[in-house]
Amino acid sequence: MDVIVCVKHVPDAETRLRASSSGKWIDTDGVKFTVNNTYDEAAAEEALRLKEKCGARSVRVITVGPARAEEALRYVLSMGADEATHIEVPADALLDPLTVARLLAGVIKTLPHDIVMVGKQAADDEAGVVGSALGALLGLPSYAFVTQLDPDAASKTLKMHRYVEGGEEHFHGPFPAVVSLLKGAADPRTPTLPNILKARKKPLTKVPLADAEAKARALSPTAAAGSVRSFLLPPPKTGAKMIEFQTPEEAAEKLVRLLREEAKVL
Amino acid sequence: MPISFDLTQDQKELQTLAAKFAREEMAPRAAEADKKGHFPEEVYRKAWELGLMNLNVATEYGGAGLPLLEQCIITEELAAACGGMTTSILANCLALQPINLAGTPEQKERVLRPFCGKYGLASFGLTEPSGGTDAAALKTRAEKKGDHYVLNGQKCFITNAPQASLYTIFATLDPAKRDKGITAFIVPRDSPGLSIGKEEDKMGQRASSTATVLLEDVEVSKENLLGKEGEGFRIAMQTLDSTRTPIGALAVGIARAALEQAAKYSLQRTSFGKPIAQHQAVAAKIANMTIELEASRLLTWRSAWLVDQGHRASLESSIAKCFSSDSAMRICDEAIQIFGGYGYMRDYPVEKYLRDAKLCQIYEGANEIQRQVIAREFLKRFG
Repeated sequence: MDVIVCVKHVPDAETRLRASSSGKWIDTDGVKFTVNNTYDEAAAEEALRLKEKCGARSVRVITVGPARAEEALRYVLSMGADEATHIEVPADALLDPLTVARLLAGVIKTLPHDIVMVGKQAADDEAGVVGSALGALLGLPSYAFVTQLDPDAASKTLKMHRYVEGGEEHFHGPFPAVVSLLKGAADPRTPTLPNILKARKKPLTKVPLADAEAKARALSPTAAAGSVRSFLLPPPKTGAKMIEFQTPEEAAEKLVRLLREEAKVL
Repeated sequence: MPISFDLTQDQKELQTLAAKFAREEMAPRAAEADKKGHFPEEVYRKAWELGLMNLNVATEYGGAGLPLLEQCIITEELAAACGGMTTSILANCLALQPINLAGTPEQKERVLRPFCGKYGLASFGLTEPSGGTDAAALKTRAEKKGDHYVLNGQKCFITNAPQASLYTIFATLDPAKRDKGITAFIVPRDSPGLSIGKEEDKMGQRASSTATVLLEDVEVSKENLLGKEGEGFRIAMQTLDSTRTPIGALAVGIARAALEQAAKYSLQRTSFGKPIAQHQAVAAKIANMTIELEASRLLTWRSAWLVDQGHRASLESSIAKCFSSDSAMRICDEAIQIFGGYGYMRDYPVEKYLRDAKLCQIYEGANEIQRQVIAREFLKRFG
């Protein structure tokens, strides 16, 4: 069984963001990028657990991103993936999620794949499109918001759990398939120091953008894509109200009155 | 090799790993461990699991086998979260370095490999109640009796001593011979006659444990003699030559944390209608702290780089340790000043940095002896 996990290199959650001068994305100058992409890390962890649990032959990590995105691949290699593929795009490329899915699908089609894992959405744009689009482009079933999965190699069936409103759904589906993870069965592992040093020797293949585009066209000639018109940061929050008081009782009384009469939440 | 201040991809990844470990495992426990003088063994165990301990032991014996520069990069990240915990982690490197330097392949296979293969702590026993800086005057006696040695004496201020499973102990076969009589031994914790005395209640670095090691007729087999008889002083000095630079990095980590806290606070705290960072007196403090921090890091990295290139670095490692720890004291002091009254309170983290930084001026060669070394090494150039 071959497992592929797709990850995205995203700005660190603690970075202060500014809109770029083009007004279409963030100003990436001085922004620290990270692989701490919650859902992608969960997908990587599950991919590695599949390998350990079911003896998958290989786990390959793949990304679409500029040169800096290699860091995300190295991180997952340090976690324990065997090989990496980097579809390298220019530093200033603004790719909509459908384009990313097309590039990934074109390349994945040429690689052995039984289960393609993705995080349910990226931690930056939170579009949540790539998983479903990959399924459609590869002609594979796509299972979303999965929290647990167990493959049965003999029947080529995945037993899965996912959260649904107010409960949990247990369901089965065939593979090869695309699985998008909400969270995994275990916290993502931290790469150990020896594994970081070993990861350097693992194979990392660069796919030039033109090659990936040709493969994407071969798979699906129509290249519909959205484009960003403008990118705005949320306005600074206003309207905080400070309660002045002498005693805690007075503070509580005033707070309850405000919640009841002004906010009308009580 | 040309000079480059760009970290390699490997170095960046090790830095990220250490920073993550520091943020997630060390920082949340730092205040509590400091307050209670608690030794957070679960943190050290996790550090070992991630490969962040025994950084200076060769990979063939189960260590990380890292160059000194990489060790310094990791140390700075750890120390930014807690200086005390970092000292306990580094104490393993200090204790094992005599075996790295003077151990036979048989000793490394028999002692280092099983030690590094599981979680464990080690202690370096050189200092004694009567002194540490004048190491040639140590009083712990070693007597040769047939195929073994018998050790008697006391080692004090020994990091990790209560929890350690392995000690490297320096003792003299003949005090009259001063440095020529000193001999190094590997002493396992379960050696009859080895006991742990009073655990110290320290001013800072309280997450690290420090105690006296008592040696009463401790028999050490010939197989656990490190190097030859009388080589102990040289082994100790060579060990300290290579572990001094990471102490500089440890001081840089503590100072960095203090400066970052002070910088953030100075941008939030307002007086006279503007953030205090915009008052010249405060801005100048931030500038001076930044200058000293940058200089400390560069001196530390250069010293580590020289060692990694195979050069002798007595002068540079002493400068790195001395300057970084003195700077750390000034930086932490100014951080408290920027925090004002809050800085003096235990509810805020900055006063801890000052208490933790102080030890860096004292241990692994007090800064006074570092200055003697610096002067001696420098004056050599003039005759």
